[in-house]
Amino acid sequence: MKFSSIIACVALFAVLPTQADESAKLATTMEATLDIIYQDAYKDYTSAQRQDAVRAIVEDKYDLEVLIRRAMARNWSLLTADEQMQVHNLIDQLIVKSFVEGMAGQGRPIVDCGAVIEVTSKRIEVPVVISFPSGKTFNVLYRLGLLKTGWQIYDIVAEDISMVSNYRQQFDDHFREENGARLIEKLEKLLKKEVLDVSTIIL
Amino acid sequence: MYQRSYYKRLFLQYCAYGLTLCVSLSTGLAEDDYLTEEQLYGDFAEEPTLVPDPLESVNRLTFKFNDFIYMNVVKHIAKGYQQVTPDPVERGASNFFKNLGYPVRLVGNLLQARIKGAWLETERFAVNTTLGVVGVLPAANRFERLQPLQSEDMGQAFGAWGIGEGPYLVLPLLGPSNMRDLFGLVGDRAVNPLKDSYSVIGDSNVQTAFSATEFAVKSPTLMRIYSQMKAGAVDPYSSMKNGYSQKRRSMIEE
Repeated sequence: MKFSSIIACVALFAVLPTQADESAKLATTMEATLDIIYQDAYKDYTSAQRQDAVRAIVEDKYDLEVLIRRAMARNWSLLTADEQMQVHNLIDQLIVKSFVEGMAGQGRPIVDCGAVIEVTSKRIEVPVVISFPSGKTFNVLYRLGLLKTGWQIYDIVAEDISMVSNYRQQFDDHFREENGARLIEKLEKLLKKEVLDVSTIIL
Repeated sequence: MYQRSYYKRLFLQYCAYGLTLCVSLSTGLAEDDYLTEEQLYGDFAEEPTLVPDPLESVNRLTFKFNDFIYMNVVKHIAKGYQQVTPDPVERGASNFFKNLGYPVRLVGNLLQARIKGAWLETERFAVNTTLGVVGVLPAANRFERLQPLQSEDMGQAFGAWGIGEGPYLVLPLLGPSNMRDLFGLVGDRAVNPLKDSYSVIGDSNVQTAFSATEFAVKSPTLMRIYSQMKAGAVDPYSSMKNGYSQKRRSMIEE
């Protein structure tokens, strides 16, 4: 093969989303978010600043809309376009807030991203073990799907509990008796209060 | 002349590569190679279906009552217990009560014909009780062959037999359950030598003190799980219902 042919092949494969890279990408993203919480450089950050910084890192690598729309499922179509945008923003904030506040007061965990498991050519899973200094260990499975924007997280399964399924149940129960406006109210109320009573969380 | 022709051919060759590269980059993967909107936002087979809850109104009331007790009583017990107990003592007490749960795990394994699991639980119990000083130290964990198994109970055994979970239930003080697990719980109590009605502890005062201590020891874990399930939930009741059901289904599948 001529040198120019090799260049063409390398250029081609460099832009195609490869499965194997996804574990490393996930690990890098998780470590970067943990840096915001644990590194001295960010110790003067308020909780809100930390949340903004974490959100910027995550959104740079992944599209959270995929997770949110999957959780909303059939209820997504019950919202107006304006409500969809609001719900998207509020849930986005809620996910990040829960993460940042949940980590507060804990020692930095060790994150071990395992090898990619191919479910189908369009869907993969990355098993992750999160070990806290207290000795507690959590098994988390990241499910990713191949979209035109690359591999995107479509579900997170923590200790056998699917986040998408859990939120979907909550939204289904909500929409059986209430509407989008009421959901927005609930989400706003939730964001105003301290989500986690961290003093009782001993990981 | 020859040199001119050579450069012309080289130029055309690079044009061809460039064109190929552009086409490849734009259509590196065909449309079929990506998840479609329908696939992405529909249901995937491995995701659990929703939980049947015909007694929702009663369950929600019980959930509110439990929530009040957890947040106003249990939370303070957990905090107080953690404040007065050094970490090693806390771990030791937790190990002690876990070790005493051996009969429940043994029966859970036997009912599912998991002889290997039953034998391993027996070996772990023997090692923890002797080398581990009545179960305070998890001595069995030091042996590679005796690593802990997933905990088994009668509810899981009933699930493994194919008995459906029935309606979702919220039990006063005990929290989330379902009809099948409620029957399992009754069975678990029957084989537990430290609980009524076949308790080996004769004195009812000692029995109460023992149960109260066990509750205090378990309260931090209970509150941790409870707070985590509530955290970030739009509807904590639904979140708990779904989380409990997913976890139990997964334990039964394993």
